[in-house]
Amino acid sequence: MNFVALFHALDTSQSTNSKRDALIAFIRESDPLESALAVEALTDRTRGKRLKPNALKQTAYLAFGEDRWLFEECYGAVGDLSETLAILFADQERSPEITQPVLADWIHRQEELGRLELGELANELLSLLKAFSKDEAFLFLKLSSGGFRVGVNKGLVHDAVAQAVAMDRAIVEERLMGDFIADGDWLHRLRSPVTQDELDARPLPFLLANPLIKSDLSSLDPSTVLVEYKWDGIRAQLIKTRETIRLWSRGDHDITEQFPDIVDAAARLPPQLILDGEILAGRPDHLQSFSDLQTRLNRKRITHNLLKTHPVFFRAYDVLRRDSEDIREKPLIYRKEVLATLAVTQSPFSLPNTPEQIEAMRESAREASAEGVMIKRRESPYVSGRKVGHWWKWKLDPMTADCVLIYAQAGHGRRASLHSDYTLACWTSDGDLVPVAKAYSGLTDAELKAMDRWIRKHTVQKFGPVRQVEPRQVFEIGFEGIARSTRHKSGLALRFPRILRWRQDVGANDADRLAHFETLMRDSHAV
Amino acid sequence: MVSKKSYLREPLIIRKPEGLYCPKARAYIDPWRPVDCALITHAHADHARAGSRQYHCALGGEGILRKRLGDHDIRAHTYGEVFALGEVEVSFHPAGHVLGSAQIRVDDGHSVWVITGDYKRDSDPTCRLFEPVTCDVLITEATFALPIYRWPSMDQVMDRMFSWWDHHVRNHRTPVLLCYSLGKAQRIMAEISNRSDRSVLVHGAVANLNLEYEQQGIELGQWERANESQKSISTDLIIAPPQVADSAFLKRFRPTELAMASGWMQVRGVRRRSTINQGFVVSDHADWDGLIRTIKDSGASQVYATHGETRVFTRYLNDCLHINAERLETAFGIEAGTDQ
Repeated sequence: MNFVALFHALDTSQSTNSKRDALIAFIRESDPLESALAVEALTDRTRGKRLKPNALKQTAYLAFGEDRWLFEECYGAVGDLSETLAILFADQERSPEITQPVLADWIHRQEELGRLELGELANELLSLLKAFSKDEAFLFLKLSSGGFRVGVNKGLVHDAVAQAVAMDRAIVEERLMGDFIADGDWLHRLRSPVTQDELDARPLPFLLANPLIKSDLSSLDPSTVLVEYKWDGIRAQLIKTRETIRLWSRGDHDITEQFPDIVDAAARLPPQLILDGEILAGRPDHLQSFSDLQTRLNRKRITHNLLKTHPVFFRAYDVLRRDSEDIREKPLIYRKEVLATLAVTQSPFSLPNTPEQIEAMRESAREASAEGVMIKRRESPYVSGRKVGHWWKWKLDPMTADCVLIYAQAGHGRRASLHSDYTLACWTSDGDLVPVAKAYSGLTDAELKAMDRWIRKHTVQKFGPVRQVEPRQVFEIGFEGIARSTRHKSGLALRFPRILRWRQDVGANDADRLAHFETLMRDSHAV
Repeated sequence: MVSKKSYLREPLIIRKPEGLYCPKARAYIDPWRPVDCALITHAHADHARAGSRQYHCALGGEGILRKRLGDHDIRAHTYGEVFALGEVEVSFHPAGHVLGSAQIRVDDGHSVWVITGDYKRDSDPTCRLFEPVTCDVLITEATFALPIYRWPSMDQVMDRMFSWWDHHVRNHRTPVLLCYSLGKAQRIMAEISNRSDRSVLVHGAVANLNLEYEQQGIELGQWERANESQKSISTDLIIAPPQVADSAFLKRFRPTELAMASGWMQVRGVRRRSTINQGFVVSDHADWDGLIRTIKDSGASQVYATHGETRVFTRYLNDCLHINAERLETAFGIEAGTDQ
């Protein structure tokens, strides 16, 4: 069994059990290098893009010559660039090879292609695609451009690996965190004992909070919990060994390079330490917005100037290892004491006696530039994942606005070829519509389908996969924060915008004006 | 600028609120409202509507049309037979879409117009192969007029279907193939029986049409009407129309594994959005190459595209093949996604 066969099994199933069974069979039966590379791709560890979307487009343009518009129409109908090329250029009569390993060879070819000059690359890629079956071409292109999704989450991969090698799931999950070396020895390493140095350097599975429902509050004894703000940044573990300081995100990505200032500040910390906390923009006494933090992400180079204009810091709220000792089993209140001894910015907390005190802290969250509060059981150990009864998050109610749909684009993955990515606008004082948010989710499948039909019928103009539509549909969006931004035409950046409901009862003229957002921004102190 | 050809100054076919109309024949083609005289290309619901006074159709399609429309005045003509209607001559020609489907040729002695109805160029054991008809003006469908729609061979599709079928039988699930009950179902049954001695169970809607096909001597292999009382997993393939996907009909065969046979299955997202796990690319419409081949074969200097990807298709014909083409809005194909 190879990766193509695995993909086929995953893609033609919607049940978690059969997906897991397919993964287990694949890990047991396939070549270990093939399964290592597959696990790397399925757990989103592929680093960078071996082929850029532009390389894929140029390949199609080469084949279509002067009829480039015709390719854009195809792309618009399919919604996914890799799939469009696979349909257009692969050999549909060919059946895919489903036993011999393919991934190592593919990655090698992708790296070779990536080194070519664009024109030559397009030529080579085109002839390569013609020799592939449709599934192979699709997978080859998907894997080369990163962002590969096939309805399998990390948890399912961990389940399957654990079952395939007959090991405890929690151990497998821990051992698969941090650096993953995708070679033929990965299963052997997984089974081998772990050294102290490895334990010191490896991020640990994050404890995730459950949302608090207001009725939970009455059943909660306030004297058993502590409350702290829920910070709006990037969750990360700061890991200091004897040699290195590294930052790992929740998605298990090493993000150290983006934040040299945090690494510098961590010099004061003792080694053999793992902290859990939040990377935040600004300074502890003056926070900046999440969009300021975003300007620090995905940069090739972090300049001195950027470090000055967009400072960041790490606010710690938990300690998982200290002096090489795993203290996750110790109660939170103990870990907080340990944390207090360390030279790192902390997340202040309070020990409430009444539910009102918890509510009062939540009320004050927006003023503190936080997005709500975290309620944590004082005696709770640091467990892996979203277990109930340890941490709760209680966010502020989102800010809302009614916006007009102006552009729609086909989604990806399950939503490819369904217009599900919306650009929403509000009115300026001059009576123009200016985009304020892109929103991807929040509608039911039935609503999405109905809107897709509407969008196809009311397209004014097409720009490749993007359709400009008649400005008639109104959606209520919710968002967590609002900040000034020079990157957006409206001058505003919304934090985590999503569609709350389809306002079929509101006409486009009654959608909100830009002034509404200005008011929200003033009220939220986030200017 | 060349002056417009005479047949365009005085068109043989125009669009009226009731449908495409030939004034000289005083007849409509596939009208969407009841009229006095209707010429029918084929019996799918978006082309054949009840309530007109008189119908003309190709001989092979008469029985199906009667089943669908009930008691009406229907006159059937053999393919190629020329008959006079008003001031024009009319004839029906094989369209290869489903049993008895036809292109309609209209000739007033000055120009020839052909309305294709729905058609495909691939061979199909259950109906006559499409025959190109030369004409001055061609009115064509364009359901799948994009280069992404190029159909794989039936050999390739049936290989995949058989291994899917066997895989799920081995895993104790009933394989269910959803497809249009008129045309697609019979075509797939005939392809199955041409390649194997496998037997299938069919939904009542399919069974009724099967009898009509068999009466005309078309072999559909071993099939049975799915028994109301059966309540177990079936190793035979169940063939049923897409509407039954969530109905009580399928519950009896649980656990079931659903597949869909349709041209739309060419795009992964279309299938992934549905509750259907597997898609087979089988269409009774012309694919991109088939559409272009047909335009060229017809020799037409003017083309009208009635439904589907008409915007892309007319632009391609105008810009790339230098054939005058325009869109002509009709009510055909409005049951989008069912791929009739």
